[in-house]
Amino acid sequence: MKFKTGLLTATALATLGMPVLAADDTLDIVFINDGHVAPYHVAWLSGFEDAIKAYDEAFDDVKVTGRWLSAEGSLEKMIQQTEVTINEKPDVMFVNAINVDAFEPLVAKAQEAGITWIAVHSPIESADYSFTLGDVVNGTNQGLAMCALSGGEPYKVAIMLGQAGNPSGEARHVGILKGISACDNVEVVAEQPADWDTVKAQSIAENWLTQFEDLDAISGVTDAYMYPSIAIAMNGGKELDFFGYDGDIPILQQMQAGSVKADILLSGTREGWNFVQMAYRIHKGETPDKVYDFFTPLVMTEENHQKALANGFPEDVQVYYVDQALDVAAKGYLEFGPDSVK
Amino acid sequence: MTTTTAAAPARPRRAMDSLTQRYLVLVALIVIASVGFSLANDNFYSLANIGILLRSIAVLFLVSMGMTFIMLTGGIDLSVGSNVAFSGGVGVITLTATGSAPLGFVAAIVAGMMIGAVNGVFIGRLRLSAFMVSLATFALARGLALVIYDADSINVSNATFLWLGGQSWGTIPVVIPFVALVFVALSLVLYRSTFGRDVYAAGSNINTAFVLGRRPERTLVWVYVLSGALAGLSAIITVGRVSSGQPWTGLYLEFDAITAVILGGTSLFGGRGRLLGTILGVLLYGIIINGLVLTGTNPYLQSLIKGLILLGVVLLDTLVQRRQAQ
Repeated sequence: MKFKTGLLTATALATLGMPVLAADDTLDIVFINDGHVAPYHVAWLSGFEDAIKAYDEAFDDVKVTGRWLSAEGSLEKMIQQTEVTINEKPDVMFVNAINVDAFEPLVAKAQEAGITWIAVHSPIESADYSFTLGDVVNGTNQGLAMCALSGGEPYKVAIMLGQAGNPSGEARHVGILKGISACDNVEVVAEQPADWDTVKAQSIAENWLTQFEDLDAISGVTDAYMYPSIAIAMNGGKELDFFGYDGDIPILQQMQAGSVKADILLSGTREGWNFVQMAYRIHKGETPDKVYDFFTPLVMTEENHQKALANGFPEDVQVYYVDQALDVAAKGYLEFGPDSVK
Repeated sequence: MTTTTAAAPARPRRAMDSLTQRYLVLVALIVIASVGFSLANDNFYSLANIGILLRSIAVLFLVSMGMTFIMLTGGIDLSVGSNVAFSGGVGVITLTATGSAPLGFVAAIVAGMMIGAVNGVFIGRLRLSAFMVSLATFALARGLALVIYDADSINVSNATFLWLGGQSWGTIPVVIPFVALVFVALSLVLYRSTFGRDVYAAGSNINTAFVLGRRPERTLVWVYVLSGALAGLSAIITVGRVSSGQPWTGLYLEFDAITAVILGGTSLFGGRGRLLGTILGVLLYGIIINGLVLTGTNPYLQSLIKGLILLGVVLLDTLVQRRQAQ
């Protein structure tokens, strides 16, 4: 009897509970990226995964699922992954296309299947949305910071570039040069692509430090280059300034130590969280800007910011100080978590 | 009167048997993998996914067939992926300059053959290590591709040039019957021609082949040229697939091709293997890669799985060789 009563009670509770627990509405998000091993990518993808979990737990009315794929730098592989994913019919696809033109036909195919296509970093006209970084503006801000912190004396800088032909890397490069052109004392003594590769960056930095004894600074289009550059300079007993790009947490921590003068706060973690927030907003009927600019402030210490302002650095450039940047960089949910859309 | 019966050369029954066994195992693995992935994801058996799978492995089929010829001679070609990028660049630039798709096709194939010839001459004529020579041309061809492309992609809109890699008949990509034709042609070359016998002879024992006057050095040159021509064909298909020429195309293709060829039973040590095994190896490898994507397997794990597959088949091949040597 007791068993039967228990069983009936359990069944009744389960039946009553079902409508509450089960979410009829689903949001399936797929992120196809060009890589997955660079420090920025690792933070990006884990931020995305954490955000998927957080959104799924935070909302009972919608089941949020997601996954990411890495093309490991291969365009053919990315196309295959995209075709397979379209066949799976998720709700939203974020695609960091290696070549924008090659993906135009797939955008149309995805849209026919009812999938919202969000082009990542390099805008695609036919995509539903493009999630962009404002690379030229960010690069310009890095260059302007270099000018303002160089102190007016002759200042020699070497710039480490992305992979030749990569739109994002080239936009950052254009921006940095544009910023530097605002002052006469900063001279670019060397430029070299390091293909987003930390190991290549290491040998380039070693060569530069040997070749240019009076080098003042190394600028890079990604923080992946800052790790080896800082280490080599330190080991060689050279005091250089570093200007990074990405907002990687270890590099922001180096800023507190003094060698890194400015960085761009992308932060992979933030970007991953922003993806899920954007997908959720679209799912709930909101329409973000067709070209959605990821908010990416410049990071400096307060002391350097004041010094830069005194040297003509534009007041309207949004600057985060290191503590704030570190907090935000590590905790994507602060800006883009479920609370931001409740 | 005594009659002597000329002893017919013994058929390598055991080798054939072990290869047949290998193919049966491969077929079984293909079935198991297909059933497993279809249970994990309903879409696996959809016509659309089968079309995607076949299109995605078309280039691997071609490159792996070239790699089979090379590995049958006991060699290896690490430059095929870079060669696909280089020959595609030459084809696309020729197409852009002349507006002629046939000229673009010829240029891509000739460019591929040139890289193959460099490999072949250094390995066959100068007897340098295949691993080291093709490692050098791996970098050389990629560098050439970056130079001729100026490190940027070139969009292609010529419908004729894009046809082979981009078109489908229903869900069947046009490229699949084309690959089947190439397979038949290469099978005839390998099994029905003197050249094919020379390939096996060079891989079985190059010194004996020399003594018998089979000129293995010439055979080696031609297998690398053939592999280069197939890389050129693959480049044309790749351009059609992505509607553009790309300096970074063909990344890791050599890894995939070598894995598929060894998986298909071609010996690392040369002299043993068949194109059919390579086809099965590519199919199994393609199904695994497709299934891993469909099932959302973590990409970090995917690299691990690919590495384990290669390690496993190399180990298996070595054990089989040792057993046969005993």
